[in-house]
This record gives sequence, structure tokens and C-alpha cells, in this order.
Amino acid sequence: MNLVLKSWGAYVRATKRWPIIATIVPFIPVVALWSVVANSGMFPRAFFPAPVDVARTFFALMYKGILPDYLQDSLIRLLTGAAIGVVLGIPLGLLIGSSKWAHRACWPILLFFQAIGDIAWLPILLIWFGFGLTTMTFVIVYTVLFPIVLNTVLGVESVHRDLARAAQSLGASRMRVLWEVTLPGALPNIITGLRNGLGYGWRALIAVEIIVGTSGIGFMMFDARRAGSTVEIILGMIVLGILWYIVDAWILAPIERATGQRWGLVTSS
Amino acid sequence: MFVAPLLALVAVWAVVVPLFDVNPRIFPSVASVANAALDTIRDGSLFRHIGASLLRVGLGTVIGVVTAVPLGIAMGVSPAISSFLTPLFRFFSVLAGIAWIPIATLWFGYGFGAIVFVIFNAVFFVVAYNTLLGVSTIPMTIRNAAASLGAGRWVMLTEVLLPGALPNIVTGVRTGLGFAWRGLIAAEMIATNVGLGYMLFVARDFYRTEVIVLGMIVIGLLWLLIDRLLLVPLERATIERWGLVRRT
Amino acid sequence: MKTLSLKNLQKTYFDPYAGSQVTAVHDVSLDVEQGEFVSVVGPSGCGKTTILNMIAGFIPYSGGEILLDGIAVNGPGPDRGVVFQSFALFPWKTVLDNVSFGPKIRGVPKAERDRIAREYLELAGLSHAADRYPNELSGGMQQRVGVVRALANNPAVLLMDEPFASVDAQTRMTLQEELTRIWQQRKPTVIFITHDVPEAVFLANRVVVLSKGRVLDQIKVDLPRPRVWDDLMQDETFKRLSSQVLQMVRSA
Repeated sequence: MNLVLKSWGAYVRATKRWPIIATIVPFIPVVALWSVVANSGMFPRAFFPAPVDVARTFFALMYKGILPDYLQDSLIRLLTGAAIGVVLGIPLGLLIGSSKWAHRACWPILLFFQAIGDIAWLPILLIWFGFGLTTMTFVIVYTVLFPIVLNTVLGVESVHRDLARAAQSLGASRMRVLWEVTLPGALPNIITGLRNGLGYGWRALIAVEIIVGTSGIGFMMFDARRAGSTVEIILGMIVLGILWYIVDAWILAPIERATGQRWGLVTSS
Repeated sequence: MFVAPLLALVAVWAVVVPLFDVNPRIFPSVASVANAALDTIRDGSLFRHIGASLLRVGLGTVIGVVTAVPLGIAMGVSPAISSFLTPLFRFFSVLAGIAWIPIATLWFGYGFGAIVFVIFNAVFFVVAYNTLLGVSTIPMTIRNAAASLGAGRWVMLTEVLLPGALPNIVTGVRTGLGFAWRGLIAAEMIATNVGLGYMLFVARDFYRTEVIVLGMIVIGLLWLLIDRLLLVPLERATIERWGLVRRT
Repeated sequence: MKTLSLKNLQKTYFDPYAGSQVTAVHDVSLDVEQGEFVSVVGPSGCGKTTILNMIAGFIPYSGGEILLDGIAVNGPGPDRGVVFQSFALFPWKTVLDNVSFGPKIRGVPKAERDRIAREYLELAGLSHAADRYPNELSGGMQQRVGVVRALANNPAVLLMDEPFASVDAQTRMTLQEELTRIWQQRKPTVIFITHDVPEAVFLANRVVVLSKGRVLDQIKVDLPRPRVWDDLMQDETFKRLSSQVLQMVRSA
């Protein structure tokens, strides 16, 4: 009893000091269970590989340089698309958000185009641009753009009118008000939009890489699927999961919290 | 009010395409899309594709929600267990959806099973994760209040944990369905011979842009209907009225 | 006749951050008569909320015993109503459904429990708000709901944990006067935790001063009722008792 309490205390203190422990430890029993099931022979090993097999493949692909190359391809595509989406989306959102008229005219159209969804554009994009980088980039930009525009508009509208009035009465021009008041006020929403957009964006990227398929993690997984190599598919999923966990939990969510909570603005989770 | 801007967009489309004499293999005219709609409605193929897609989404979503909510609540009841399990479910919920297509098609073969599995797991992990979060954000004092008013396990579940987690559950269903819907279209392009995604992808082989655009409009309208008529009103009726979390 | 008695009550728990056992309540003995209003005051960290949570059954106690009408307390139950500092109303239930929640669990039929709830809402002057949701009410109104929700369940003791600490000063005085009025009408047994000394004296028949997990002293309050602030503010006995208690708390 005492020993249990003592070790629990040690665990709690350790996680307090290094929070990453609390993230990693829960995965240990899962990997152990996976290992046991895979080794029990319940499923054929080729169909349901063990953690060791996946780790071995990981090192092999790292050594050959295939995994880093594909990962780099995927990330560059995602970042390019996201950057273009942000550069287009924020001004567009500010524009639409600062005029009641523009809002009324554009809102249904924005909702409709968001509802079509990125992947449904793929067939016509393939006709327009063929199998290539343009098609991929277009899909990512499309995915990232709409959440950013929609959230920027909401963010602009959430900025209290008195703030703009206060800035104006302190002598700020329209442009200054936009830059000093509206944009920072909308920032928490913009970041929420970016977070949502990237969440959809990397999924779209995987789908596009599967269908367009020349390189990238999605291509690797689907190529492995054609060859019936479960091990590489699972490796791809784990790499994606870890990568996205890090990006979402350690980069995007903290930024979202930092802007929203630091300034005491209302944002939800 | 909502329809007017969309009609204006259609008007622009109707003017621009003949004006610039756009090649129908690049972009179709309004008339040809309308014709494609009539043709596919007449021969029943449009509704066959819509039916197949909706059946997959409906089935995957129902199984996902029905299994995820009880699991999420069970895991969220104890603060220690929920904080232990949160990273796990977060991991699987960031992975949910499209990334499962390769392994799903390997396990289930191309077709119905694989697609429903992709939908199911997109909904399941996101809803379970959000339910878990929802239950663990119910203030302990509210659970204590119910207990001191005599609530047993069942009452605690139905009157406190379930309604308390509902805002997060609804958010989870909305996000999960968003992933699932995209996963559906992608999976149908890759792994089947019926459904809206398939309809689009096969039309590409013949440069039938009017069918592609028709499919995109149908996909957009269906999602708008699901989101605006089902999910948004549900959020409004509960969360906003109760003054709990408000989101966009 | 005594209703509630604490005998050598003790609470220790394991603090994972310190890695050792911590004692929050050393040795507390206290008897509460039926229909008595007892205020418990003390500086923060004196263990007063821990004691209330143990009586309510939210946390287990490590030593001694808590007897309610001679029966040992074990876990939360409807015989001990609790009013929380954070109100703890169910946001997804209307005011009426919040108040009728306790009777509903006891299996009282709908018409009857609604009648009970409306009667209590009337008592707190809240009849007009029956169909509103808690977040549509002010803090003061929410806590009125909190009080009658606990009372409507007809508990043997009412446990109040700094219930008026999060409302503004004006409202707090009104709520205190209302509470004494309701207490006079219904005569529930009340344990009232607070760190506000005038509040403790104003409300109670007896004030218990806690310090470092022990009972430091107790003072009887024989002020006449009904009590209203306009009268008591100038009352010599009230002032004397208040400063006496304040001195004990500050020396604690």
C-alpha cells in the first residue's frame, strides 16, 4: 500500500516536472498489448505486424533515406499550401468581416464552398492541372482557406465596437484601426481557424497523395498497401499520428490558448 | 436571404461560360449541369450514388456515436483515469479518418466494409475523445451536488454526466462528421464502384465536367443540410440556452 | 436533542507532490442540536471546508466518527443538503427542475414535486424565475436557488460552504437577512462555513472558531430575531461578539 502510494507520488512529481512523461506513459500498455496480440498468432503476422517489426522497418526506411524524403515532401506541400491559405485568407476575412454588406453577400457562398470540401475538387483539378504539384497545392490551399476566412470574419465581428471607437478617438486612421485593433482582436479566432484548417489540410494531403501518388507519406502508405505490406502502412500511420500530435498539442493548441487566455478573450477549448 | 447570393453566383456562372466560350471539357455550362442532373435523376443513378454515400455515412456515424459516448463517459468518470487516457485518445483522434484508408482496404478489401470502417473510426475517436474531455470538465461540485441530493449511479449518468458532456459530444460529432464526410469522398474515389466520390472520379475519366460539377454541388448541398439542419440547431437548443461553451 | 455529532474527527491524506502524509484536520469534536444554526469560522487552511466535505460525504475521514441521528455517515446522501460557494446548479435544468431534482430522485410524482418546488421558490421570492435557466439569473438569484434546492429535499442538516462569498456586498447582506428569515420559518439544522466574522455572528446561534485543524473556541450568540442589518449594525452586543470572535480568528 505504502509502496503504491510512494511510486504514485513519484510519478505525479515526475510528470509535474517533465509533462511529456504524462503523454508517453499511457502508450506503454497499448504497445505492450499490441505486442502480445501480434505475438499470440491470433492474426497472421503479415496482416498484423508486431511493434518490433514496425520499429525495424522504421530504422530501415530511415537508413535508406526514404522516410525522411517522403516526410519532407509531405511537409513542404502542407506548409506551402497553408502559407498561401493564410496569406489569402486573413485579408479576405478582414475585408468580409469589416463590412456588413460584404458579409451578407459572401457568407452563404463561403459556407457552400466549404461544404463542398477539398477532396471533391480533386477530379476537376486533375482535369485542369493534371497529376502534379499544382493540384496538390490547390487542394491544401482550399482546405486551409475556408476555416481561416470564416473564423477571421467571426473574429472581426467579436471585436467590440468601442475598441475601434477608442482607437479612432485617439487619432488612429482606418488602416491603423485595422492593423492595431481589428487584427489582434481577431487573432484568437484566426488561430482557431488555422488549427481547424490544418487538421483538415493534412488529411486532404494524405488523400491526394494516395490518389495522385508520386511521393509523400500518403503515397508510401498506399504503395505499401498495393504490395500488401502492412508494416509500412502502420509505420506511416504512427509517423503521421506522432507528427500531428506534436504539431497540434504542442504548437497550435498552446498558441491558441496563449492568445485567447492571455488576453482574457473568450475562446473555447 | 441565404439563397440570394448563391443564386447570384449561378447567374454569374450562366453569363461567364458562354461569354468566354469556355471549353465544356474545362468547365460546363449551367444548362449542361442541369441536363446532367435531369438525366441522372431519370435513370436513377444520382439517387443510387447519394443513397450509397448516405447509407455508409449514416451507418458508420451511428455505430461510432453509439459506441464512443458510453466509452467516453465511462473513461471520464474518474479524473485519474481520464487524465491518463486523454493523450491516447487525442493521438487516435488526430489520426482519425483518411489516414486509415490504406489499412482499412487491406483488412476489409475494397468496398462497403472498408468505407464504413473509415467513417466509423473518424467519428468514434473524435467523439470518444470529446466525450472524455466533456465529462472531465464537469465541475466536481456539480457532481457532488447531485450526490448530496441523493443521485445514484444511473441518475448521475443520465441527469449529470450525459447532459454535462453534451456540448463536447455535439462538437465531437460535428468535427468527426466533417472528417468522416471527407474520408467518405476520398474512400469512394479509391475503393468502390458506387457513391458520390466514385461518380465524380469516374466522370473524370471521360472528361464529363458537367457530372463532376453536379456531384460537387450535391456534396456541398448535402453537407450544408446535415450541418445546418441537424448539427447547428442541436448545438443551439442545448449549449447556448444553457450558457455553456459557445463556439462557431 | 443533538442531531449531528463529530467525535475526534481526523483527516490525513497522501500528498503526491510532497510525497508524504499531510494532516488537514487533527482532532475535532462538535455536537449540533436539532434546529440549531452553527457558524464555523477560521483562517484559510484551518480545515473548515475539509470538515464540511467529510460531513457531506464527499471525502472519507481517516479517524474518529461522524454520527447523524446516531448513524455513522458514509458517502453523500439526501439527509445532508449542501449549498456550494460556486452554486453548482445544473446549467441544463430550469430553475424549477433544479429545485425539484431531490424530490424527483426520491420518487415523488411530477405534480407533487412541482408543487413542492414552487412552494420553496415562493419562499425565496423566485416564483417568476421558475422556467429560466440558471445562467440567465444573477449570482444572488442563483444562490437563492441553491439554498432552496437543498431545502426542498428536506435534509436533516443543511451544510453551507461559504455560500455568499461570490456575490457582491449589497446582495450578500440581503441574502443573509433572507437566510435568517427562512431559518426562522423552517428551523432547519444548519452548519455554515465562512471566513467572514460579522456574517458568522449575524446568522448563528453559536460560532465555532477553528484553527489548524482543531476547535479553538465556541461562542453562543443570543441576539434577538428577526435579525436585520439596520438594527444590528449599531447593536452593542453584536459589535462586542464580533470583535471577540475576530480577535480569536486573528490570534489563531
